[in-house]
Amino acid sequence: MLPPASGTGKYFAKAAKSIRLIRQGCTNRPFFHISVTQRRRLNSQPVIEQLGSYDPMPNINNEKLVALNLERIKYWLGKGAHVTPPVAEILGLSGFFPIHPRSYMTAWRNRKTEQENIAKQIEAEKAKESTAA
Amino acid sequence: MISQNTFLKRSWPMLIQCAEAHRKPRWLPVAKSKLYRIPKRPEVSEEERLELLRVNNNYKTQMRAIRRFYHEEMIKEKSTRDSASSEMSLRLEADEWERCVIINDKWNAQVATEREERRKIQLAEMEELALAKMEAKDKELKERLEKAAEEVRRQKALCETFITPDKLEEAIDYALANPIDYNYAIDLHGKTYLGTTTPTNVHKDEKTSTAV
Repeated sequence: MLPPASGTGKYFAKAAKSIRLIRQGCTNRPFFHISVTQRRRLNSQPVIEQLGSYDPMPNINNEKLVALNLERIKYWLGKGAHVTPPVAEILGLSGFFPIHPRSYMTAWRNRKTEQENIAKQIEAEKAKESTAA
Repeated sequence: MISQNTFLKRSWPMLIQCAEAHRKPRWLPVAKSKLYRIPKRPEVSEEERLELLRVNNNYKTQMRAIRRFYHEEMIKEKSTRDSASSEMSLRLEADEWERCVIINDKWNAQVATEREERRKIQLAEMEELALAKMEAKDKELKERLEKAAEEVRRQKALCETFITPDKLEEAIDYALANPIDYNYAIDLHGKTYLGTTTPTNVHKDEKTSTAV
């Protein structure tokens, strides 16, 4: 029998732990569990405990749903668990951590590209008008 | 020596279904088509680099503080849990336990009364149902008996007209003495028309005539 995805609860006390996303969906349908595992384990191996879930596909209300068990996350952080960047980003957006630098970076890069696109559009329109006139 | 149980009761299977099955195994060399491909380095401007550095430093500092906070909290909790065996906490626990027991007893009593009521109602319902069933059964039995008695009566009445071996000669004589001709028709008013339009016993008549 396969171990449960919600966690076996078994771990080595002195091994490093990591809170990470573990892909649970199927082909073309990503879905992630936020789980705490031993740091050197593969994502396909049994986890210690599931701490939440993350659905990266927006639903009909254009929401990406995240569930977090903050109490247990606190517990594992107290135990000195490492947090992987994607999880840190999610926790930052949820207000549990400070906003992750990568979130800031993607935000300002997106802003920049958007502004550039707008400038391009305006230029194109101007060029059109000049040719028409 | 590895026992059989280590294989049977291990927490994860010996053969792992690899999630990254579509990827190249680690030990295979670089594909020929990708051998001289030089991946493009990401271009980060000086301004952006400095900003990122600043943000990252801030983040790291804050995270370190948060980590330390949770770690200290855990230690504190642990110490409180360890010191929970003091008299004060014992008394508090006992009080809590008593309160819980009282509440539990109350709930139990309430549930018991509810259950008793429910059981009474159910019993009454069951009795009613059983009585109704018995009545229905009695009625059916009676009906069947009546039906059977009726049948017996009818058969007895018929019995007098039966032809027994004793009466056989008599019946034959009677039948021969009173031949009945069924060759007739009935109209809507019940009037009988005796005789036939077509000769039925022509053959027999001929025979008799030739004999005569």
